[in-house]
Formats: sequence, C-alpha cells, structure tokens
Amino acid sequence: MKGIYIHVPFCKQKCTYCDFASFPKEIGKTESYFACLYREIEGRAKQYPDKIFDTVYIGGGTPSAVDAKYIAGAIRQVKKCFTLKKGAEITIELNPGTVDANKIKEYKSVGVNRFSIGLQTGFDDQLKRLNRIHTAKDFLLTTNLLKGENTSADILIGLHDQTIDQVKKTIELAIAGRVKHLSVYALTPEVGTPIYTDYLNGELLSDDEVADIYQEVVAYLKEKGFNRYEVSNFAIPGYESKHNQIYWDRGEYIGVGVSASSFMNGRRFTNTFKIDEYMNAVIYNKSPEISSDLIEGDDAEFEKIMLALRTAKGLNVKEFNEEFNVDFDQKYKAALQKKGKYLVRDGDYIRIQDDYMYVQNDIILEFQLN
Amino acid sequence: MSVNKENVRNFCIVAHIDHGKSTLADRLMEKTGQVSERDMEEQLLDSMDLERERGITIKLTPVRMFYKAKNGQEYIFNLIDTPGHVDFTYEVSRSLKACEGAILIVDATQGVQAQTLANAYLAIDNDLEIMPVINKMDLASARPDEVATEVEEILGVDASDAPRISAKTGLNVEDVLEQIIEKIPAPKGDENAPLKALIFDSYYDNFKGVICFVRIMDGQVKIGTKIKTFMSDKQFDVTEVGVFSPKMQQKDTLSAGEVGYIAASIKSIEDTAVGDTITDVNNPAKEPLSGYKKALPMVFSGVFPLDGSKFNDLKDALLKLKLNDAALSIEPDNSAALGFGFRCGFLGLLHMDVIQERIEREFDLDIITTAPSVSYKVYKTDGTELTVENPTHLPPTTEIDYMEEPIINASILTPPDYVGQIMELCQYKRGVYKDMVYLDKSRVELKYVLPLNEIIYDFFDSLKSRTKGYASFDYEVSGYQRSDLVKLDMLLNGDICDALSIIVHKDKAYERGRQIAEKLKDVIPRQMFEIPIQAAVGGKIIARETVKAFRKDVLAKCYGGDVTRKKKLLEKQKEGKKKMRSIGTVEIPSEAFISILKTDNSK
Repeated sequence: MKGIYIHVPFCKQKCTYCDFASFPKEIGKTESYFACLYREIEGRAKQYPDKIFDTVYIGGGTPSAVDAKYIAGAIRQVKKCFTLKKGAEITIELNPGTVDANKIKEYKSVGVNRFSIGLQTGFDDQLKRLNRIHTAKDFLLTTNLLKGENTSADILIGLHDQTIDQVKKTIELAIAGRVKHLSVYALTPEVGTPIYTDYLNGELLSDDEVADIYQEVVAYLKEKGFNRYEVSNFAIPGYESKHNQIYWDRGEYIGVGVSASSFMNGRRFTNTFKIDEYMNAVIYNKSPEISSDLIEGDDAEFEKIMLALRTAKGLNVKEFNEEFNVDFDQKYKAALQKKGKYLVRDGDYIRIQDDYMYVQNDIILEFQLN
Repeated sequence: MSVNKENVRNFCIVAHIDHGKSTLADRLMEKTGQVSERDMEEQLLDSMDLERERGITIKLTPVRMFYKAKNGQEYIFNLIDTPGHVDFTYEVSRSLKACEGAILIVDATQGVQAQTLANAYLAIDNDLEIMPVINKMDLASARPDEVATEVEEILGVDASDAPRISAKTGLNVEDVLEQIIEKIPAPKGDENAPLKALIFDSYYDNFKGVICFVRIMDGQVKIGTKIKTFMSDKQFDVTEVGVFSPKMQQKDTLSAGEVGYIAASIKSIEDTAVGDTITDVNNPAKEPLSGYKKALPMVFSGVFPLDGSKFNDLKDALLKLKLNDAALSIEPDNSAALGFGFRCGFLGLLHMDVIQERIEREFDLDIITTAPSVSYKVYKTDGTELTVENPTHLPPTTEIDYMEEPIINASILTPPDYVGQIMELCQYKRGVYKDMVYLDKSRVELKYVLPLNEIIYDFFDSLKSRTKGYASFDYEVSGYQRSDLVKLDMLLNGDICDALSIIVHKDKAYERGRQIAEKLKDVIPRQMFEIPIQAAVGGKIIARETVKAFRKDVLAKCYGGDVTRKKKLLEKQKEGKKKMRSIGTVEIPSEAFISILKTDNSK
C-alpha cells in the first residue's frame, strides 16, 4: 500500500504542546499556499508516474480551519495527477469549533470518507489550559454533523493533574460521539513549546502515572470493543486506519506541503518547515526538500523492525527475510536471546508481549546493530 | 680532583607539609650561586608537574652546592630533599641514611605539627644532627619565641640559636648556611677502603639505563669500575658518575663522603634495589651497609581502564610508573563488572592518589578505581596462612579460622577544642586510646591505635570536617591484630558485583551495606525489570533496596515525518547504553559506577 499526505499549516491558535508546522498568523496566505500545494502535487506526480496509491490523509495544523474549497481543490488535484485506487481511504483532520454542515458536505463531495477529530480531553478546563479553541460540547456538535461516518478521535494522556477517571470520561464522550477509532497519545513535552516549562517544573504527570493511565485505557477500551492495533491506536475491528498502517509497514508515501515527509524508492525526504521558503521553492521550480537520505542495509532493516514492533500484529519474519534477503533469526540472534522473554512468536510473526508494549524502546534498541 | 671530606656537608631538610621546605632549598641554591634568581623556576626541586601543583615533594632530589664560608674556606653542600607526606615516610628514612644532619624547619606561626614530630624523630633515630630553623618570619603572626620553646620542649632539641628566617624573602638565610658548617658534622668514611655506596633512590633513563642515586660511604667509584650489589649477583661496568647541581653533572670520581649518581647500563630497576649497597667487584667490601626495610604497599585498589580496549595502554603506563617507583606494586586483576585491569598496591592514600592522577594526566587514560583495601592475613582452618589484598580472593568463611588486619599508631595534633570530637571519631573508627599530651596551651597530641582499614575509608575527611581543618594527622603501620572481619558483598538482581565487595569489621557491615545499597539505588537507572539490590555477608542478606522497573519507555507517536527523528532518538538512547557496564543482567552507566566507588571514600 502507498499513501499521500497533504499538510495544511494553518490553525486558529496554537496549542501549548504543539510543535508541528502550523502558523495561526499566516492564515492570510491560504490562497497562495494552496496554489503552491497544487503545483507541488503536480510535480511530485510527474516524479513518480508509475505508482498507484491507496490512501490520502489531510493533516495539519487544522485542515478544517481553512475554506473547504481549498481542501476540495487539493483532493481534486491529487485525483487528477496521481493514480488513486478506487475506494481509497481519504482522511481529513478536523478540530471541533471549525466545522459546519457545509464543510462536511463539501469534503464528502470530493470523496473524503474518514474523519479524525481532535478531542484531546473531555474537560473544558483542561482544554483551555492547552489553549484549545473548543469545549466538550463542541466535540458533540461536530460528531452530530458526522452521523454514520467513519470517525476517529485523538485523546491525550499525561495532562496536568489528569486522573484515570477523567480519561475514562473522555473515552465515554468519544464513544457517545460514535467514533470507531481512537488514538491515545501520551503528551510529549517538546523543547520550545509552552508546556515544556510545565514539564520542567514537574507540573505534568510522571512517567509512572502516565503508564498507570495507559494500562487502564488499554483495558477499558478493550471492554468497549476497541482493540489496540498499535501502541497508541485502538479501533473497533475493521476500522483501523489504512493510511497509518502504511507508515508502520514501512510502505511508500508522498507528503506534500510544508514540513511534509516522504518515503519513496528507499529515500526519505522532508520539505522545509518555513511557509515562505516552501512557496518560493515551488514558485521557482526548486525542490522544497531540506533533507534527503537513502536508507539502506541495516538501517533499513532497523526501521522495519522498529515500526513493525509498534503494531499488535508485529513483524512478519518471512516477509522480512525475503525483503532484505537475510535470515532474521540468525542475524538478530543476540537481540532475540537478550529480549526474547518480552517477545512472542506467532507463526510468521514476532511481536512484543502485550504487557511490554509501553516499554518497547529498550527492546527495539537491541535490534539496532553496530 | 679529590674532595676534602672535612669540607663536605650532607644534609636534608625535614618539615611538616607547607612549612617551607622547598622554598628554603631554592633559596639555599640561589644564595650559593647554584642558580640565578632569573633562571629559577618556582621551586626547582619539585620537578614533577604534580609535585609543583600540589606543593608536595614525592621523589627525592639531591643537589650539590658550593659555599664560600665567612671563614674563607669553600664547602660542598649536598642537600637531599625529602618528601614531606606521611605516605612517604619510607622515602624520608632513605634519604636520612645518606646524611649526617637534618635541617628541621618549623613554621613560626603554626609551630610543631604532626609531621614535624614524625620526621624529627625519624632523623633522631638515624643519629642525625638536628638543626632547627624557624621560618616564615615575614608573617605578622609569627611567634618565634613560643615556637622555639615548643621545639625545645616537645623535641628536646636546642633551639636557642635557631636561625629565624624567611625563606620567601631571603631574610637571614646566610645564617642557615653558616650553621650548616658549624653544626652538621663532616662525613666520616675512608676513601681507601673497599667501595660501599648506599643506593637511596633510582630512576630509569631511556638512554643511560637505571641511574642510581648514591651516598659513597667508603672507597671510590669511577668510569670503568666493575660493580655489583649485595642483593643481586649481576655485575655492571660503570659508564658514568656525577653529581647534581641540580642538573646531573658528570665527574671523574665519586669518593667517600660524596653524594652523586652512578650509571652502568643497568636495564632493570629491580637489579639495584633502593637500600642495597654497591661495591667493587675487584675489591669487594665484606658486608653491606645496614639498608632499609623494603617498602611494603599498605593500601590496595583495583585500577581498570574506563574503556576496556585501553587495557594495554594502562599496562604500559603502570609499568613506566613502576620503573621509577619501587613502592608501587602491580598485579593483573580481572573483574566481572569492570573487565581486565590491575590490582595495585600503594604506600598510602596520597601515594594512591598521586599514581592515579599521573595515569590520567601523563598518559591521558580514564580509569576506574575500586574502593581501597588493605592487606589482611588470613589463617585457614587447615593451618595455612595467606595474605589477601583483594576482597574477592577471600576464601569462604568455612575455611577461615581467623583473620588479622593491619593497625597503625596514629598521632593527631589538634587545638584542645576539638579533642572530644576527635575521640568520638576515633572510637567510631574502632580506635584504642593510648595517650594524650598537652604540647602547649593551644595544642594537644592524641595517640591512638587504629585499624588501617578504617583510615582508608572516610577518616581524613571526617577529621578535617570535625576540626575545621585544624587537626593534623600522622601514622605509622605498627603491625597486625586479630579482628572479627567479614566480606561484604553487593548483589544486583542476585549477582555479586565483585568490584563492590569489601572487607569490613563485623560491626560495621550492616551500616556500610545499607549505605552502599542506598547509593546504588540512586544511581542505577530503572530497567525493564525490578532490580533487587542486596548487601550480603556470607550468604546472609543484611540490607535490601529495590530499583523499580520502568513503566514507560516508548515513542508515543510514530508517523510519516517522525521516522527519521525517532530513529535518531533511539540511536542516542543506544549510545547511552553502550557506555553501560553489565553486571549479570543489570546495566549500569560507567559514570554511576565511578560515583559509587568515589563516594565510597567520602561521606
């Protein structure tokens, strides 16, 4: 499977934990940004003419913060330039407080069939502290517009003074909104974000507390019919995100727009994070890439292992051996010996035991050779 | 040119640390025109960087000076510098044997201190003429009258005409030169008798081989003389003789009464042991001079390269240091936790410190050293006896009948205010009170017998902090005593960490075990599993701590743009792991290891 990612770098306002390429003050550049984006889509399609794609994902920023016509235009451009499989999964990220019935209608008219909603928490005081623009009620208003659609919600754990009870209530709210998929992320305080100060001052939950919440979340969601199919992703069977699965399968994807990353023909490359630099490059027919690396050998193998072990299914050893022309069990004997007790072998698959999913770095590291 | 013995004076300078020994030596050389003031690097005798930085003398350095006295005659002065620190008492006694007299420097503000006493007694024991000098007269707080009385009362040495000088400014240094002639006897000895030369130090020169520092007691030695020592059968042809002025200066002959050096293409420093007597193969002396006791290392510590691949570099460094330091003992060692390294024996803690610092500085090697240990005598139930310096070599308790540990005679000088504190400390350190003498109103000398293994752990620092640095301390090893000793092991996840094993008194085992366990708990990073830390004596657990398993070690998100970034994050994490040492199943960062071993010797 192959995917296309489209980045929309605009927001109403920036959340305290956000370190993505999103620029609330630049929203006036929407028109020219999308003009450039369409042009990049055209160029990328020419660069990889023979590839067939299975998914499209429009992320941000807040894609729903801009006029729906731009989104529609981007999808039309993708369909025009790339070969997209019939019935492709097309996802858009929405934030409550930025959507209305007309927007949804327009998205659907160009084929968007999956909606990912940024809920984060069901508690208004916490939302405010994160500098989110919405309330819990706004979330339900949004889901009401999406009745019968394939929807997902994002939830954060590890917020200031957050309790397991609050997280459960948030999950209940999401389920009340009929979501079929949930992403539950541990808040990661990144340097340079306002919340990093809170982290430095010990105002966020400790790792142990986050681990406690996570453990409860996994159990609670299972009860509600959501299976963990990746460390942070849960779905009612059949509603797993196809697009994200591409990342964990180490499949190919093209990213367009500011800060978008791609992985094509063994090469990982990333566009500039600066909006003006991006537009200038595209306008003058230059590459907007700021980094490009060919991933080969052990490095490629490690990527494959590191990504696959994030999933509940794990790594398909047989496919791995064919893809890299190696003997996994032989080559990674030392790692398997050392960390074997945390792994499970299940037919062709090897995966991390359920209880150790949240401490997987220490396991994965062993597979990093040299 | 033959030397008139009547006009030779061989002497050394002894003093408490920092009382101005090297400064006076420099001043004497300057006044006798040996070096001009301009050429003088600060404190010439301390030629090692480390010596100069720490203001201590480690190696002996003899210097020959010419002095034209007020009586019109020319004299040759051979000054043999001595280390001031207690660890090097042995080296002091070596240089004393080569002299007829000793200048005893006493600081006019501090008066008699622990090492003033120790060194003065040493000189008296060696039948040297003691010539007291009161230094630091340039300081406003100088109290020369009191200090002179102290010297007389405490040491029983006449100090009524002791020169009152300032080595720093040069005040009255001429008086010292004149008194050397007056007070210190000329050497005896017969230059026509068979050769007897006492080796009081030696070092290895890459070109000339071993250079022996000698005092000629009888006879003569010149280029071509076939020599041998009493302890070794090997014979050597002398290739060079000379004196120190202070650089080595070649001469034709060295004869009775003189101090100088002999080179004879000697390959190994072991062939010319310090304290041995050199004689002429063709006209041998009947018996050797009374030499010295061999310096026995008293403090032992494992020395391991931080980077295991540097083992050979460490070996080379230690061998080079040993060439010039007969007191350093080296033995290969192997630790499950630290890999390959060496068990080294030192004269004392300062000696250990100096060697470790020289390895790091002069050879640019990072090392890990284990907690210092002493040499125990183990009497086994089968009647055999063995010496154990490395706790891991201790036989199982069932095979041990009893053990003995080295003890010291300690002398502590302190202002009376701190007597209570010090007694408390000594008692805590299993000391046995011997005596207390009021030297004057402001100073008391406390005498204790203490186990050496209590001294190497935390004694100096405690003494310093309890007395605000006012107390001075000196000791000599006095023998062994039977003691109730046990081996304390630290177990990580059930595996013994050999590098942390120590031998302690039974009564201290629980406390030490708990301390180390707590420290380990602080420095061991959490891992995927719970790690029990246990302190055990003979299989019995006496203390326990637990490092809980970590609960969260995961990259929350990993999507398209994250792959490269997250991979780098993991690489960093992996780099960190590479610097870890594995003890059984537990991984400990090297830094943490060092911090445990380091703090082990302080609080």
